[in-house]
Amino acid sequence: MRVIAHSYINPKGLHVNGELLAQVTEEAQYLKQLYSSLSLDYPKFYKMDNLSKLAVLAVEGMLKVVAFPSEGSDLQLVFANHSSSQQSDLKFIDSYTNLGNPSPSLFVYTLPNIVTGELSIRHKWYGENSFFIQPEFNPDLFIEQSSLAFLRGNNLCLCAWVEAQAQGNEECFLFLVSRSEGSLESADIMDIYKSYTV
Amino acid sequence: MTPVYLTYGALITPLGTTKEAHFEALSANKSGIQCELKSGFNGEDWYLAKIDHLAKNRLDDLFRKGCDRLKETVGMSILSAPSTRIILSSTKANLSDVETDAFASMRQMISSEFNNTNDPLIVSNACISGVMAINIAAELIRDQRCSDVVVIGVDALFDFVIYGFQSLFAMSDEPSRPFDGNRKGISLGEGFGAVWLSVNCPNQFAVAYLAGASSNDANHISGPSRTGEGLYRAVKKTCERSNVTADQIDFISAHGTGTLYNDDMESVAFNRLNLQRTPVNSFKGYFGHTLGAAGVIETYVSLLSMEHNVLFKSEGIQSPGTAEEIAVLQENQHQRVHRVLKTASGFGGGNAAFIIEQLSA
Repeated sequence: MRVIAHSYINPKGLHVNGELLAQVTEEAQYLKQLYSSLSLDYPKFYKMDNLSKLAVLAVEGMLKVVAFPSEGSDLQLVFANHSSSQQSDLKFIDSYTNLGNPSPSLFVYTLPNIVTGELSIRHKWYGENSFFIQPEFNPDLFIEQSSLAFLRGNNLCLCAWVEAQAQGNEECFLFLVSRSEGSLESADIMDIYKSYTV
Repeated sequence: MTPVYLTYGALITPLGTTKEAHFEALSANKSGIQCELKSGFNGEDWYLAKIDHLAKNRLDDLFRKGCDRLKETVGMSILSAPSTRIILSSTKANLSDVETDAFASMRQMISSEFNNTNDPLIVSNACISGVMAINIAAELIRDQRCSDVVVIGVDALFDFVIYGFQSLFAMSDEPSRPFDGNRKGISLGEGFGAVWLSVNCPNQFAVAYLAGASSNDANHISGPSRTGEGLYRAVKKTCERSNVTADQIDFISAHGTGTLYNDDMESVAFNRLNLQRTPVNSFKGYFGHTLGAAGVIETYVSLLSMEHNVLFKSEGIQSPGTAEEIAVLQENQHQRVHRVLKTASGFGGGNAAFIIEQLSA
């Protein structure tokens, strides 16, 4: 297997295959700015939490360089992060402890796999999804899960480390792994990740 | 294909802490759901399946008790072995630690209680987490990445979850009645369930895991697809991968949350799959909806059905009534239970399934 495309978002901008695709000028508004610079027309975007917004934008960026199979039928999503749906969790807690009523529109985002649900809706992907919680970014998980996905008959694996922490870090590192020939090592994936983050 | 054996791990629910206690309770159609006074956001009395005598930190206490049970049932030689992996299935983990790391305490306990040096794999995929975790466990063994996997599903009752489902108007004001024509919603529950998968045939009742699959509805983040598209695709793929046809399935342990739309969706999918005459139940009338633990708990008790050749009534059912007709179990039924289909559906549009069967003599 091998990585055939990758993208990365943080409050500074959106990169695809190592190239800057959209620069952010106002970090406080970065998700909105990136949405505009990609000329997206998807009103549902505004209702999403940051975790979903990050992943939606990273996939739109990747779509500039690759095409996904229709219905995503042999496309597996393997997503992971450290802090689950922490931002939405804390906002939902705030809605019933300080703002008077538990908010249903916040509650539905208090699960990390809503991200893969949003992507499946956006792109009409009916394939397999999984979401994992890890102490830190670890390429071994993605290599192992991609291998299992290919054994199950999938041909592509869209992997993501997508993080929206309450204090600080927001990022999405997306990489598309193909079943085709080639040996993929953890170090290869770590190198790509570091090229964006270090 | 490498055989994968699946057997009991441990089970802690309001119905008990042992296999025997659960068999007895299910045989008597005893439910763990009770009225909990003033449990709602505005002081409503909700019906919940709550475990008595848990310490203030419910999740950590429940998890520690579950780990203790596993040491007795599965045993330390397996739990601590380098060739054993632990998979944890949970949606909310420890909400009292949400500001730092809700999964930290369980991660730490797995390594300290079991002396297992492998990093636990944590699956957090809403209500399909448990079924998905079992699928991943079997695949890890089949791909010879380990010899044993203990899959643990756990979620505790927190105000967070109760208030959340209340805000969605999904809570039933009576004990949940999955697949009933007058069902009013879910009853939430809490529990710890564990099953043990192995490449070696365990020295106790075990079944063969055939195959599993999952599929997204690509429809809505919190509402089920009207056509049951994802569930239909997940079960269809599961049957193909298992080389099993609809008429070879003896029992479906369905998701059955007791909400109007979910149960209708499942009835539509099962009809599309030609499974409308296969006996089906939901165990959520016994345990409530235990979220990340549900798939594991329901697999554990499906093993009881297979070991004792008895199908358990879908608790709470009075008069079946779903969009399409299905064969809901209205009484316990003694019959040979050779092959079982387990399904789950959840928020985020996820659906997952697998098939297990009796070992050939």
